[in-house]
Amino acid sequence: MTLRPADLRSVHETVLDTPGRIAITGAGTAADWAGPLDAVDAALDTTGLTGVIAHNPGDMTVAVRAGTPLRALAEELAPHGQHVAFDAARVADGATVGGLIATADAGPSALVYGSLRDLVIGATVVLADGTVARSGGHVIKNVAGYDLAKLLHGSYGTLGVLVEVVLRLHPISQRTATLALDVPLAEAAEHAARVLSGPYEPVALEWISTSPGGEGRLLIRLDGTEQALPARVQRLHEILGSPGRTASNEPWARHAELVRGTPGLAVVRVGVRPSELPGLLAALPVNAVTAGLGTGVATVALAPEAVAQAHTLVHAAGGTSVLRSRPTGCDAPAWGPPPSALPVLHAVKTALDPDGRFGPGRFAPWLVP
Amino acid sequence: MTLDAVVRRAFERALDPRDVISDPVQCRAYECDGLTGYRVVPELVLLPRDGAQVAAAVRVCAEHRVPFVARGAGTGLSGGALPVADGVVISLARLKRVLEVDPANRRAVVEPGVTNLEITSAAAPHGLYYAPDPSSQQVCTIGGNVAENSGGAHCLKYGFTTHHVLSCEVVLADGSVVTLGSDTGEQLGPDLRGVFVGSEGTLGITTTITVRLLRTPETVRTLLADFGSIVAAGEVVSDIIAAGIVPAAVEMMDTLAIEAAEQAVHAGYTLGVAAALVVELDGPAEECDIQFEQVTAICERHGCTRLHIAGSREERAAIWRGRKAAFAAVGRISPDYFVQDGVVPRTRLAEALDRIAAMGSDAGLRVANVFHAGDGNLHPLVLFSAAAGESERAERLSGAIAELCVELGGSLSGEHGIGTDKACSMPTMFTPDDLAVMARVRAAFDPHGLCNPGKVLPTPRLCGERPGRYRPHPLEEAGVIERL
Repeated sequence: MTLRPADLRSVHETVLDTPGRIAITGAGTAADWAGPLDAVDAALDTTGLTGVIAHNPGDMTVAVRAGTPLRALAEELAPHGQHVAFDAARVADGATVGGLIATADAGPSALVYGSLRDLVIGATVVLADGTVARSGGHVIKNVAGYDLAKLLHGSYGTLGVLVEVVLRLHPISQRTATLALDVPLAEAAEHAARVLSGPYEPVALEWISTSPGGEGRLLIRLDGTEQALPARVQRLHEILGSPGRTASNEPWARHAELVRGTPGLAVVRVGVRPSELPGLLAALPVNAVTAGLGTGVATVALAPEAVAQAHTLVHAAGGTSVLRSRPTGCDAPAWGPPPSALPVLHAVKTALDPDGRFGPGRFAPWLVP
Repeated sequence: MTLDAVVRRAFERALDPRDVISDPVQCRAYECDGLTGYRVVPELVLLPRDGAQVAAAVRVCAEHRVPFVARGAGTGLSGGALPVADGVVISLARLKRVLEVDPANRRAVVEPGVTNLEITSAAAPHGLYYAPDPSSQQVCTIGGNVAENSGGAHCLKYGFTTHHVLSCEVVLADGSVVTLGSDTGEQLGPDLRGVFVGSEGTLGITTTITVRLLRTPETVRTLLADFGSIVAAGEVVSDIIAAGIVPAAVEMMDTLAIEAAEQAVHAGYTLGVAAALVVELDGPAEECDIQFEQVTAICERHGCTRLHIAGSREERAAIWRGRKAAFAAVGRISPDYFVQDGVVPRTRLAEALDRIAAMGSDAGLRVANVFHAGDGNLHPLVLFSAAAGESERAERLSGAIAELCVELGGSLSGEHGIGTDKACSMPTMFTPDDLAVMARVRAAFDPHGLCNPGKVLPTPRLCGERPGRYRPHPLEEAGVIERL
């Protein structure tokens, strides 16, 4: 049974009127990320919750229903020269604002802007018992009360239904430029260190593999003004000591493809101290990689049989890992060893959804329904 | 009831006995934080020397159900570190080691008693700094910053504490130790670090914090511009933002605040002008120079009466000295004052200031204004004389100003926190259901309510609420929410 409420009141009523376990779904762009869903009695489809509630260009904020595709929101904001400074690959596939928050997704520009947890300033949530709870507000600066939106970030639909979200906006840069340099990962990491310790202020700094044999390309994106950007690009060329190429968006499209995954392979999202990342990736049997050399966040494609070992190695390096998309029938573990805060996660789940109604299985084996 | 000898001995076993303070005279030094109107002398003050001792002390609290309040430098302005009667204060003042500065990964690992500025000092040799910069940064501690999610003058561009804390080692209310957050922006499940930061000490005590460091900007350009009206200065801010510029800081001071600051530090502000605007840009030299020209043109277009561009590091420091001294300087023009902290949507600043001026004259009290104009965070300073019996009137006015901010679509607090001071105002901003859910989260971390009780969330005992007939919630009347 699929339920598709179109406003806050009907989400509230739907949750109250629907007994049993409920899967909260969005555009389906990350439906198989994290632990596989257990059997549910109903799906609550959030894609009917669309549209801007209030956009205040002068305040650089927008309130939006959570089922709105971020891509659609971007189209509405663009005429005002504003955007949500967020560029996860699945935005282009129609991912919803709520889904992007629930899966804690992020793109290359997280180097400067962080993930949506850094951009959400308010949220309205419906809990499993029908309670409607708001936190935050419509202003960027606000420390009143607990920030419940943070709890929903990365909750994979297990704590509540995000219904409305207020986001902080940024101006769209006049110009953007990407330098592409064909180098293997270790060399790319040296370049990255030099760029990051200088005054260049890249918005994104990623290495992508171009062959399973270790070849790859370093991508460095600068955002800026019409007048100043050419000089900044020139300076960057100089310190890289090689001409590089100034490219359009093409290399980022390739980056997004790699993040989406490769048919027949499992995709694991990895995070580790940036300096540890090249060594870690070298130790993993990866087929394709995007590696955030400033963020320490990588997306890797590997054989399903290698997922468990990847979790172990990442954990040993002090990092985090989660399984994203995977081939049908793959039963690789979604999560690695549990974090020390597991008892807190358990207590929060019990406090907000004591009957385990929302998203059963997402955190298995950590949280067992 | 007082803590019995058994409990005290348990603390003396957990810590060095000399680090358990029970002398009432010494305990009195901990009776309040920066909000001195609220005072409670704690039964005991504990001075642990490391994280393990903090955990050991909290385990004793858990076993004997003793409430505890963590305390950093005590500079908070909302009574967030107010002790609890029959409880203990756990001072983090001795946990002041910088454990690691990792320039390659642009981060530092520090203990909670390290001051905000000490982090930047430790990072500076590597060309790095810690971005959030509350006015009290020379003395306030990072542990307190984490509790309050502190901001500062530069948070419009760089964000708040929550954006700069990667992970925290936390002692929970049962004495167990967990890590919230990770070495990157990635999370294993819900963002528990994000809930912890800004929870005002009610969810646990952090004992080790990993913060992000940023590269010191290549160029910083700062100007001070005078305007004949607050409205004109406000239009400058609007035009800067409409031009797609994100300034590192935009600060505004009104006539009274300027007068006070000048008396105190002689920073070169113009006496008598209606509004002084401080605008700072930073970044790569090429960008900074171009945008700075745009900003000066915008200032001139709105009739600025004097434009002072800092020509040296010293001149820039002087401009900031004037701005940062403003709070304390108000003591020079008034025997007593309250510092308020509220937020309005930036586009409603002029309306908010008009209303505040009207409320001030109705109350027969002067209000000086210092604020972060870029993000609508107001710091009205209500001037009064306790000796002249104006205290209650001033307190009412100050509280009414915070609630006005909520009415205008803003927040009760932008950076000072709710603490003890505003817990009873929370129902003006949140519904009973909102607050009940926050209480559920609190109980998930701390089922027995031992960790800084009485802060953030209103309680009937604290606020004297009585059940009565149904009245529409202020947010319901404003059409922001509907009752389902």
